Amino acid sequence: MAATGLLLGLILVLGCFSEIGVALISFSSLQTTLVVTATHPQRLLRAGEDKITVRWGLNQSLPAGTDSAYKTIKVQLCYAPISQVDRAWRKTEDHLSKDKTCQFKIVKRPYTTGNQTLEWTIERDVPTATYFVRAYALDANDHEVAYGQNTDAKKTTNLFEIQAISGRHVSLDIASVCFSVFSIVSLMGFFFVEKRKGRKAQQ
Amino acid sequence: MAENEGSMGTSMHGVTGREQTFAFSVAASPSAPTDSTMAKFALPVDSEHRATTFKVFSFAKPHMRTFHLAWISFFTCFISTFAAAPLVPIIRDNLDLKQADIGNAGVASVSGSILSRLVMGAVCDLIGARYGTAFLLLLSAPTVFCMSFVADAQGYLAVRFMIGFALATFVSCQYWTTIMFNGKIIGLVNGCAGGWGDMGGGVTQLLMPLAFQLIQLAGATPFTAWRIAFFIPGWFHVIMGILVLTLGQDLPDGNLAALQKSGEVSKDKFSKVFRHAVTNYRTWIFFLLYGFSMGIELTINNVISGYFYDRFNLKIHTAGTIAASFGMANFFARPFGGYASDKAARLFGMRGRLWTLWFFQTLGAAFCIWLGRADSLPIAILAMILFSLGTQAACGATFGVVPFVSRRSLGLISGLTGAGGNFGSGLTQLVFFSSSRFSTATGLSLMGATAVICTIPVAFLHFPQWGSMFLPPSKDPVKSTEEYYYMKEWSEDEKTKGLHEGSVKFAENSRSERGKRVGNVVLSAPTPPNSTPVHV
Repeated sequence: MAATGLLLGLILVLGCFSEIGVALISFSSLQTTLVVTATHPQRLLRAGEDKITVRWGLNQSLPAGTDSAYKTIKVQLCYAPISQVDRAWRKTEDHLSKDKTCQFKIVKRPYTTGNQTLEWTIERDVPTATYFVRAYALDANDHEVAYGQNTDAKKTTNLFEIQAISGRHVSLDIASVCFSVFSIVSLMGFFFVEKRKGRKAQQ
Repeated sequence: MAENEGSMGTSMHGVTGREQTFAFSVAASPSAPTDSTMAKFALPVDSEHRATTFKVFSFAKPHMRTFHLAWISFFTCFISTFAAAPLVPIIRDNLDLKQADIGNAGVASVSGSILSRLVMGAVCDLIGARYGTAFLLLLSAPTVFCMSFVADAQGYLAVRFMIGFALATFVSCQYWTTIMFNGKIIGLVNGCAGGWGDMGGGVTQLLMPLAFQLIQLAGATPFTAWRIAFFIPGWFHVIMGILVLTLGQDLPDGNLAALQKSGEVSKDKFSKVFRHAVTNYRTWIFFLLYGFSMGIELTINNVISGYFYDRFNLKIHTAGTIAASFGMANFFARPFGGYASDKAARLFGMRGRLWTLWFFQTLGAAFCIWLGRADSLPIAILAMILFSLGTQAACGATFGVVPFVSRRSLGLISGLTGAGGNFGSGLTQLVFFSSSRFSTATGLSLMGATAVICTIPVAFLHFPQWGSMFLPPSKDPVKSTEEYYYMKEWSEDEKTKGLHEGSVKFAENSRSERGKRVGNVVLSAPTPPNSTPVHV
């Protein structure tokens, strides 16, 4: 009893320590230096089938050397505000380590000057929701230093919807029905066999 | 069937509560069991053929086999009822759920069994625990498999509601073990069966994510993998249902239908069973009490993982491990509660059992208050562990007392108590954890405070033959016998028909609840509970 408690306490303390190492970077401290656009064949996209073409690059009107610290680019699929309502697990927080707005990684690549393009097929674990695309520029320590997104600051323009896969399969449905039928039939079977044995014993 | 025809003198039995009560059942017919049949059991038994010892590692029929079938059936149903909880992060994305949808499904998962536990109580009294358990397991298996069809919030709620019906196996489990084990050890046996079954709520928090990961590794996408994972509890239902039907038996002497046909056990009427259950005020006190021990335990199963995740910013698998450990503490906490109840009964009789119950339940509730107020993680974990031990021991102690409330309506009263547990859970989730009026932490403390207050009614549980927490037993020579209390449930007409025989034997065996108190003077000579009575 005490041993279990101690072990649990130890695991949790270690778990806590592993989180303290993360730096507390706030989103509001980042600069919008990247320009990101996302194009797609229609407004309602299907997960697992449709593709989004994402383009990102440094804003050319900024002075040279702005991107000297950028080592990696991380492009993510992020929830629009309408998909965050009543869903605390998608909440936007200023501290990036606690922020849950962007939960799907599109690509993570070393940073190069000039524009980059990627055609990305939407993964099959993306849920039904309204999204936008955001790119973070990371420095050598993997900390965010700048970002860009394909929508405005209030996240109201250029949003697109993705329709998730249902996760259902005909084979699964059939297996489910088979096992259910087996369950009921075996119950009825036992019941009637025992009733018949009881009647025979009485005769 | 001719077995009961020779039973002369049955109409006189139980009237004064003093005569030896077994002569008639032995003389009934040449082929009826004599006391030498006690030797055919693997464990030592009392006059009702209930086992008087508890050998955990044995599977001998009928007693230990029943014990293992009963608790594993209940364990299986706990796994399937709470199987969705650890997978909610995946399910909420697949089905596009909002917070309200998730909360409502949680309430639905415990609400279905309010009704099914009542029905199961009656079913056990009327057709036996074996059929009751098997029917429920095999009929709820399709509801578990139904998860593969769910496509939206309504479907999710409906399926969780239907799976929740399976929690009625709690009643059949406790009823079945009570029938098989003697009153002196019933606290421990019921505590083990109930506690190890409840452990399913903890095991599922580890089992389902593990199954999900393995299925994903085998190549399925997340939104399909969680549906496949539900087949595992579904298969458990089918396997256990078949095992119960093939290996189980209702009573130590055989199955209920066969014994009723041979006249050894009488068939009862539901209306009578129902009337004696609902008119006994103790039933309703237990309905309330259990709502604040098991009820808050079920609520915690649904909210604790999210609480630790949000309040202390833990990772999801860490929060899940804590949630699992709350449920797993049932492995020793609930049996310990039952054992403590039995030990207290040996020294102080029923009064000891009542004080044990009050003590553990109040202690658990106090630690729940502390849990809500704890600001640091180590203190919160400590408070949660102590809270789980107290509350789960109280659940075990509750079922150390319930078997003595009635013999005729045992099943229905167990069912009503169990239903009270679920009702308490639905109510506490609704009142303390569904609005944004106060935080989860405040909700926990308020729930604990309410539980302390609602445990006070233990003081009102009074047995004329044994007393209560503060009052001594009745001084009336007739009313202070166990026979009087249990015979009250049968009319003179029913007694002439000999329907009350089971209660007579039970009353004799329940003298153990007098404890060792001196001055517990009763006019009839007390018979040691386990000795073979001398036949008149």
